[in-house]
Amino acid sequence: MERQIKRTILEQARDWFESNRKVILARVIQTWGSSPCPVGSNMIVNDKGEFFGSVSGGCVESNVIEECLDLLKNNNSFKQLEFKVSDDNAWNVGLACGGEIKIYIEKINS
Amino acid sequence: MKLEILNEIIQKKSSSQNFALLTNLTNGNSEIFEFGKLLSNDFESYKKQIENYHSIKKNGVIDGTQIFIQNFTKPIEVIIVGAVHIAQYLVDLFKNLNFVITIVDPRKFFITDERFPNVKIINDWPEEIFKKLETDSNNALITLTHDPKIDDPALKHALKNKFFYIGALGSKKTHTKRCQRLKESGFTEEEIASIHGPIGIKLGGKSGPEIALSIVSQLVLESNKLLLNSKK
Repeated sequence: MERQIKRTILEQARDWFESNRKVILARVIQTWGSSPCPVGSNMIVNDKGEFFGSVSGGCVESNVIEECLDLLKNNNSFKQLEFKVSDDNAWNVGLACGGEIKIYIEKINS
Repeated sequence: MKLEILNEIIQKKSSSQNFALLTNLTNGNSEIFEFGKLLSNDFESYKKQIENYHSIKKNGVIDGTQIFIQNFTKPIEVIIVGAVHIAQYLVDLFKNLNFVITIVDPRKFFITDERFPNVKIINDWPEEIFKKLETDSNNALITLTHDPKIDDPALKHALKNKFFYIGALGSKKTHTKRCQRLKESGFTEEEIASIHGPIGIKLGGKSGPEIALSIVSQLVLESNKLLLNSKK
């Protein structure tokens, strides 16, 4: 049987960069209350909107992807995002678990 | 973040080093931290706090600063003595955790590539293997044969070399006898008590996969102790 090689998120980021994609790294930097992903969890997003990894177990990923694409559009290099408890509106992005997280997004540049 | 830092992280991770990634959240600068390394102006004045966070593997925004630290720790090297069926379940469970595994067994019918296709295996006596293998407090030992001829030399080596986790499979009765033998070999009560025996946290299960899970749980718990204790 062939040895299975696990591709890490950061290796994937490098591969994207080398194939001329624009790449954003998103990392959980602070959490309050219960949150599904610990500090240090990361996710990468490219300019096509493809992503790997996770920062919340599914709750805020789509919003983070949009923020990453905005960062690229506005030609900024980094930004902090904060997500709090969701209200009753099911379509609102938020953390159903009642936690709060701060996410730092940054562009990979040469 | 600069590509060169990303590359440095990938390289350091693949060569199993302990280091941290520091990020200044106000200006976006990032840098790699290692003990003894000189830091740039962005981080040098917080060096003490950075070292404290790094030594207990704590990730986060350092109190009272805008510095984010993310630790990358060298995987724990687990040596499993006994290529028995529990070892096969252990391989599966360890797969997605930060552990590197080596399985040793002098019995050639047990330790085959067919039984252990994706893991480092050594067909020899633990005594011989430990003569060649470099080990320290980043190692863990799991003995599964409950045959003193095979397990005991491994346990003695692990105790002498201060492995951070030592666990031995076997009933309470087997373990009592094992402790007696180690005592006769000159190990102190304290050293002997550091062996987790019978191995694993109590999950109540008796099947192979359940025992393997209880062993992995105990090892994960032990590896997170520094951080858990710092939160008390």
